Amino acid sequence: MTNASHEVAKGPHHASGAAPSALSAYSLVKRFPGVLANNSVDFDVLPGEVHTLLGENGAGKSTLAAMLCGLYQPDSGHITRNGERIALSSPRAGLQHGIAMVHQHFRLVERFTVAENVILGSRDLSYKLNRSELEDKVAAVAESYGLPIDPGATVADLSVGQRQRVEIVKALYQGAEILLLDEPTAVLVPAEVEKLFENVHAMTQAGKSIVFISHKLGEVVEISDRVTVLRNGRVTGHVSGRGTTDTKELARLMVGRDIELTTQRASHATGHEILQIRDLSLTVGGVSVLSDISFNVHAGEMVGIAGVAGNGQRELADTIAGLISPTSGSIAISGSMTTDRGPIHARELGLAYVPEDRLGMGLVPSMSILDNLLLTRDRRVVVDRTTVRPEATRLIEQFEIKANGPDHMARKLSGGNAQKVLLARELSGGRTATKLLVVCSPTRGLDVGAIETVRALLDDARSAGQAILLISEDLDEVMSLSDRIFVLYRGSVVHETPGESAELATVGAAMAGLTPEDKS
Amino acid sequence: MRSPIRIVFEQRNETAKHLSVLVPLLSVVAALVAGALFLLATGYSPIETYSNMLSDGFTSSRGMTDTLGLSTVLICTGISAAFAFQMNLYNIGGEGQLYLGMIGGAWAGLALGDQLPTFVMIPVVLLVGSLAGASWILLPAFVRSRLGTSEIVTTLLLTYIAASLVKHFVYTPGSFFVTKNSAFPQGRLVPDSASLSGIGDTSLYPTFFLVILIALALFWVVKKTEYGYRIQVISDSPRAAHYAGINANRTTMSVMLISGALSGLGGAVLIVGPFGRLDPGIILLGYGYAGIVIAALARNNFSAIIVSGILFAGLRSGGDKLQISTDTPIHIGVMLQGAILLFALGGEAFRRYHIHAVRTERATQ
Ligand SMILES: Nc1ncnc2c1ncn2[C@@H]1O[C@H](COP(=O)(O)OP(=O)(O)OP(=O)(O)O)[C@@H](O)[C@H]1O
Ligand SMILES: [Mg+2]
Repeated sequence: MTNASHEVAKGPHHASGAAPSALSAYSLVKRFPGVLANNSVDFDVLPGEVHTLLGENGAGKSTLAAMLCGLYQPDSGHITRNGERIALSSPRAGLQHGIAMVHQHFRLVERFTVAENVILGSRDLSYKLNRSELEDKVAAVAESYGLPIDPGATVADLSVGQRQRVEIVKALYQGAEILLLDEPTAVLVPAEVEKLFENVHAMTQAGKSIVFISHKLGEVVEISDRVTVLRNGRVTGHVSGRGTTDTKELARLMVGRDIELTTQRASHATGHEILQIRDLSLTVGGVSVLSDISFNVHAGEMVGIAGVAGNGQRELADTIAGLISPTSGSIAISGSMTTDRGPIHARELGLAYVPEDRLGMGLVPSMSILDNLLLTRDRRVVVDRTTVRPEATRLIEQFEIKANGPDHMARKLSGGNAQKVLLARELSGGRTATKLLVVCSPTRGLDVGAIETVRALLDDARSAGQAILLISEDLDEVMSLSDRIFVLYRGSVVHETPGESAELATVGAAMAGLTPEDKS
Repeated sequence: MRSPIRIVFEQRNETAKHLSVLVPLLSVVAALVAGALFLLATGYSPIETYSNMLSDGFTSSRGMTDTLGLSTVLICTGISAAFAFQMNLYNIGGEGQLYLGMIGGAWAGLALGDQLPTFVMIPVVLLVGSLAGASWILLPAFVRSRLGTSEIVTTLLLTYIAASLVKHFVYTPGSFFVTKNSAFPQGRLVPDSASLSGIGDTSLYPTFFLVILIALALFWVVKKTEYGYRIQVISDSPRAAHYAGINANRTTMSVMLISGALSGLGGAVLIVGPFGRLDPGIILLGYGYAGIVIAALARNNFSAIIVSGILFAGLRSGGDKLQISTDTPIHIGVMLQGAILLFALGGEAFRRYHIHAVRTERATQ
């Protein structure tokens, strides 16, 4: 025991030498083939504290968190819990020490219900499951943390935002004392984030500790007691004390330069109609998902779709991309009908589509970056990889994708870098020159530097005359980029406004379903 | 303070390349050790048995050509199984498709043999056999791709029906496939134009080289072509396939049909080669089931199947000869085949997981 406290004192960045930290890591090293993901990282979190990990895409944040919860084992270094050295050989061992992680990539069983997923992995399950009792229990836990969710719903039917909520409820249900949240807010809307933060406060009040990972600097400033900055697997900076920093400084600490995320709008008059949607309705299993949607997107214009997750955005995007046939109504790209013609037809007319779920739909996890670039292109009978290879290398450079090269497997990329591969493919043109770009949450999970790059690319695409449909739960993004904004609520367009004169309050109210009759 | 040791399975982030070779090799070794224990327990000498098998299966020249000859059909059923398995389609009815290949091949040989020259007849017999094999998986493929019905059950059931068909064709008096007025029921030999002779009077037939070529071609198709790309996307992420406009139903259908055709080809190979007739003896040999093991051992890699197919053929032909030559248990070859499957499947755990022992409590300082 004496030894243990001695070791704590050795910890290089410890807020106070007095109380043993809830969880500390000493000189953790984790190497993946070709990358040193964590290079002698020291980290600790005190009881009742929110300690944030900040860093560029691929800096090593998720890797560090995975070692702290027992998912990965460090190559060297060690971890202590309340001053005692522990060996975390598996996530279950982590749970036994009260450590739980909510992962960036969901780890849910799609075919199971919410309740089944939440209790999955619990040791104390009785032989026979009492479904309704179980669902009540899960619902109660969820409710008590202000994260309402239908415990009987099948996960496959949930939006990404709802899935994230299930993950959080699961960790809380398992009784975590230390909660590692890997980009939990990436898929939440502001109101949900507020609720989450209320929970975080409640938990820290109760002496629990939070390790928080986010690229949203505003949130980081708001929630963190301490911030540790990682860069290329090393700790490169610390900020201590709530309210002692601002987003600009954090950005500088992270990427080493100033970042300007400016508002961009169409610089010139918009052209002819590229996307035409007429009276589009979609009913799935008797439930109306989209009803009577009509709008156009012009060449050189960006139309933003705002809305809370699960209000039909995913289905709208999938329908435009030809993945779902609408129940009624029509869609045309450049004047040609695409309804019921499938995704390849839509792409041949100039569609590019960045779906919401990158590793689930947009990318093939076990394939290389190179092969993933080929996914939406014309591959010929014998796949010609040699001519695409230089392009892959170029895109990796242009998008600053942290990878070992074009053969790096998609599953082994960091979250932000996977998103970059998807964007690189869809923004670089495919079968034909892109005319219509449908992008869902394009900058989710990207670091500020990458957000700047992607926004600039979207702006370039618009200036080049592409029609862009931006579907995002990030209201800030929709508001600052779009030329026109539609709000989707329960499958209907309930509000429409030009981007310049959009008001946060009005749009926010429309998203919540409170529509003052002001369709102008 | 001592504490119980627990075995922990930790998923490997990176499946090491050398393990892909090491694990199958070790499973063969482990199976041989298990077989040796069995031999010892039943009072035989493992050393004598294995050395006999080795010389009968591999090291003698007769043994080697017999092995390569037998491997021809085993490689067929191996690539047949692997072609479906790689897309998570579990065609375990290769056995029945092989019977159909024999029926189809024998039919073509008997019906057309007198009218066409050899260089036409051989391809015709092989083709008809393949088509017959494919026909036997048509129904499972259809219900699997349209309704999602498990192909495991359907393909297996059809194997039993195929076995009855073979018996029916041979044991029904006056059947097209049997010799008229023969004292005991036996399949009719196909005419000379539909049969090949062994190379240098051995049991190795030229079809061996054809099958090797097909295995290598499949290897190339899977790695390099659009078709192989599609198979990979669908097997890894059906949603990504949907997103990219890849028609999973059609690909499922075609992959299963090709798998059936390859087993059928194995049956036809027996017609132009060693059997020359529809022979109900095939039902006891289990060449189709062996294909499943061969594919599993080679982890569905088509070029590795050539190796594991030859290895199995050696075990089988070496083992089969034991019953004639020495006083040893006659089914040692088949038993080893089963043991290898078990160890190969168990070995997967070592390949996918890092297995180590840990103490359960906190380390003491
Ligand atoms: N399983 C793996 N195999 C190989 N390399 C990996 C693996 N997981 C992560 N890496 C690499 O390790 C580095 C750090 O990845 P990590 O996921 O920790 O980044 P991150 O900081 O969480 O980034 P992001 O903000 O994009 O999520 C990256 O370069 C990534 O490519
Ligand atoms: Mg990450």
